[in-house]
Amino acid sequence: MFLRRIAGPLLGGVKETTGIVGLPVVPNAREVLIGLYRKTLDAVQPIPESAQYRKTVEEITQHRLAICNEEEDWKEIEKRVGNGQVEQLIQQAKDELTLIPKMAEWKPWEAPEGYKVQIMIEENDVPSHVPLHR
Amino acid sequence: MDNQLFFKSLIATLPKWIHKCQTSKHENILYTNPNSLFQLLYFLKYHTNTRFKVLIDICGVDYPSRKRRFEVVYNLLSIDYNTRIRILTSVDEITPICSVVSIFPSAGWWERETWDMFGVYFSNHPDLRRILTDYGFEGHPLRKDFPLSGYVEVRYDDSEKRVVSEPIEMTQEFRYFDFASPWEQMSRSDESNQK
Repeated sequence: MFLRRIAGPLLGGVKETTGIVGLPVVPNAREVLIGLYRKTLDAVQPIPESAQYRKTVEEITQHRLAICNEEEDWKEIEKRVGNGQVEQLIQQAKDELTLIPKMAEWKPWEAPEGYKVQIMIEENDVPSHVPLHR
Repeated sequence: MDNQLFFKSLIATLPKWIHKCQTSKHENILYTNPNSLFQLLYFLKYHTNTRFKVLIDICGVDYPSRKRRFEVVYNLLSIDYNTRIRILTSVDEITPICSVVSIFPSAGWWERETWDMFGVYFSNHPDLRRILTDYGFEGHPLRKDFPLSGYVEVRYDDSEKRVVSEPIEMTQEFRYFDFASPWEQMSRSDESNQK
């Protein structure tokens, strides 16, 4: 307690905990993130450019990479990305990296000619006793 | 509105795997083929914009009139985005579905339950046994053509000092059910019938 009070101002930018069980703090999160995003951008190269999946992944990754390059502080990165803590961003980037080779193999964008997805949208109001999820 | 945008982007990304989708304000349902179910769930778990990390449950529905009579339902939860989604697929009695235990370890027991209750076979399941019914049980109890009373009855035999199971015996006499009520009833209006 005493030490923390003295060292507090010095440790101002250091994260103590993520507050999430099983998710330890990554001290050099920014560098890790930049590395992961560069890897992701390399990994999507085998996927054809017309595929919506590649467009989505590139858009997300480039947006986040640009933020990481501009900001030094993890607080600012978290604020501007707006999708959880930097450690969670690292998890998301790792998950996406495991998914990309599978998607390249499965090719879900190659639908047969004239294939149409049936979409049904119901606009009815929800009864008041039903809990709403997004 | 969020829902619709999300679904449009999903369909644009995975047109091959989704053949129908249904959204309302409190429910999102995707219909897929049993062949692409595994891939779809894998995508939903790992993609940055979906992250459905929790498999809430798997269950089945029996529609005997359909050609592919069983509908298997997967309910997923994304803690990151506070969203739920339901994946539906339909199979017949013979076709196996690929097990998703390797993606969601929690699927193990639910797939066993669906196998036990409906007889939907899951391929590549590490341990596909019955889970709720007794050893040596025959049939799948939640199928619509399974008799309400079952095939065997279990009782304690005092002379043998153990529980024995025997073929069921209906001790009740034949009853004629007369559904006509002695009370005066309101007739259902024609409007509600038309709806």
